[in-house]
Amino acid sequence: MTDTAIEAAGLGRTFGRRRRARALHACTFRLPAGRVCAVVGPNGAGKSTLLALAAGLLRPTEGTVTVLGTTPAAARERVAYVAQGKPLHPQLTVADTLRMGRDLNPRRWDAATAGRVVADGDLDPDAKVRTLSGGQRTRVALALALGKRPELLLLDEPMADLDPLARHQLMGTLMADAAEHGTTIVMSSHVIAELEGSCDHLLLVGGGRVRLAGPVDDLLAAHTLVTGPAGDLAPHTVVESRTTGRQLTALVRPAGPLGEDWQAGDPTLEELVLAHLRSPDAPALTLTDERQEAAA
Amino acid sequence: MSTVTAEATTVQSPPSSAHRGLVRTVLRLHRWALWFWVLFLVVTGGALLWAYGPGAHAAWQEYRAADCARDGFLPACGTNGPGYQYFSTVVDSASALLYSVPLLTAAWAGSALIGRELENGTTALVWTQSVSPARWLAAKLAVPAALLVAGTAVLSLLHRTVWSADRELWHDMGGEWHSGSIYTANGTLLTAYVLLGLAVGVLAGLVVRNALPALAAAAIGFAVLLNVLDSLRTHLWPVKTLTGKDGYPDYIGMVVGDGALTSTGARIPDPVCVDDAACLARHDIVGYYRDYHPSSHFWPLQLVETGIVLALAAALTFAAFALLRRRTA
Repeated sequence: MTDTAIEAAGLGRTFGRRRRARALHACTFRLPAGRVCAVVGPNGAGKSTLLALAAGLLRPTEGTVTVLGTTPAAARERVAYVAQGKPLHPQLTVADTLRMGRDLNPRRWDAATAGRVVADGDLDPDAKVRTLSGGQRTRVALALALGKRPELLLLDEPMADLDPLARHQLMGTLMADAAEHGTTIVMSSHVIAELEGSCDHLLLVGGGRVRLAGPVDDLLAAHTLVTGPAGDLAPHTVVESRTTGRQLTALVRPAGPLGEDWQAGDPTLEELVLAHLRSPDAPALTLTDERQEAAA
Repeated sequence: MSTVTAEATTVQSPPSSAHRGLVRTVLRLHRWALWFWVLFLVVTGGALLWAYGPGAHAAWQEYRAADCARDGFLPACGTNGPGYQYFSTVVDSASALLYSVPLLTAAWAGSALIGRELENGTTALVWTQSVSPARWLAAKLAVPAALLVAGTAVLSLLHRTVWSADRELWHDMGGEWHSGSIYTANGTLLTAYVLLGLAVGVLAGLVVRNALPALAAAAIGFAVLLNVLDSLRTHLWPVKTLTGKDGYPDYIGMVVGDGALTSTGARIPDPVCVDDAACLARHDIVGYYRDYHPSSHFWPLQLVETGIVLALAAALTFAAFALLRRRTA
């Protein structure tokens, strides 16, 4: 097993007849295996495109993406993907959908796992998929994905149509699976609160580019929330600053010790992400996973 | 829910072949189409078998009762009885039903087989199982193709059997060997056109990516192709020519064209002089010709057209795979 789940080099994808609509451009990052990675960004940032490229559903128009040490097409058997909106065949029953999973993944299918995910949701196996609620569909889609025993699980907005309780349950199921089998999970969301506490790696996509990438702890440690009298913050890199009267609040990447005038605090993940989303011109930051590098 | 868990443990041993799993999935996804096809085969096959046995028997009895079959066969003699009416209605409908199969196939393949999956995004589900898009498309083509070919081949054979056994009855109905639906159903063409319909539908579904527009595109596309091929049909084998001095020769077989002949042997459009000698002299008309295909040309014509249709279907299938390959990894 390779120690890299996804590696992108100058990855990009344009759409449209004259290739004018650019969904993703010059994305370079590396996601170590065994992580739970959040892909965050505003709507239309390119999150779905990035996941579809990794799943081998789209062909990149520039650059390359490597999945589990090989091409997305060659890794197909070891990768599971749940698309936004959880497309399922409406005419099949829940049990038929799982049979399809078994038939299409003959070498990997874990019927017990898939059955358990569905059974935990009190779903009638003979119910047609078209009669299910959004949350129940999500459960079936996840059962199909986990039943494949993937090494890499790609989830596009998995929790979007779930109530808080179901969200909590499914997140628990996912995390338990990740912990038990060492599955790498990549999930996109525009609700940051959804991901806080369960993700240890962050990929912030905005305007079709990678803005932040790295382990959550390292990214948080690289930033400081400062307040103090309005003034120059050089030589530190300012991500975002706001002035209220004579008081200035800013998120900075300290280049050295901060001055005495400043009150420093640790940002939360949400503050970090929002600051970057509000300032599209802030320089990108990619941190490599030192611990992983050392271990490998 | 307990059933799911119970079943989950019983199906744990993986099926021996990934191939079979894909075939099963295609059949499961298109269960209704499969039932419809079985029903179609039963109804159409049943109608043809009835026509071959009791239907034709009743019609012939009427002919004999009306003294129509004493010296050979008197055409249009016993066509008023209910037995003949039943026979003609049933075989006419059967021919028409068979003729509709390729168009229905195109419409179905464009919408339910391919277009709907792309529209609902369920391709994202199937393509991220252990199945590549190309294998998915191959299964989506091969499974229906096998069932359609098997079914239409049997129906074509049945249709031809009924037609050969009671040619005189068909003749009274105006059904000649070269009339559209009979000509198609009596040979290899029906099966070839069904495959063409499938290929047109699949390509339309992949290009349009929406069920209903793809249905329309496939149906229109196939109808256009069918019309073009239909207009070329008579040119696919060298014609035979009949000539007459005082008037047109007999109208027999599949007529390709006719007109007037001048003394130099040149063919000109008939100026419609009828018996006007001055008119005939002015146009230098010395006779009339008619190009046609005799019934012995049935198989050469069928096989050439079948070859063209199959080549076209293969080209469209290749285009469908190329399109899919360009889009996905």
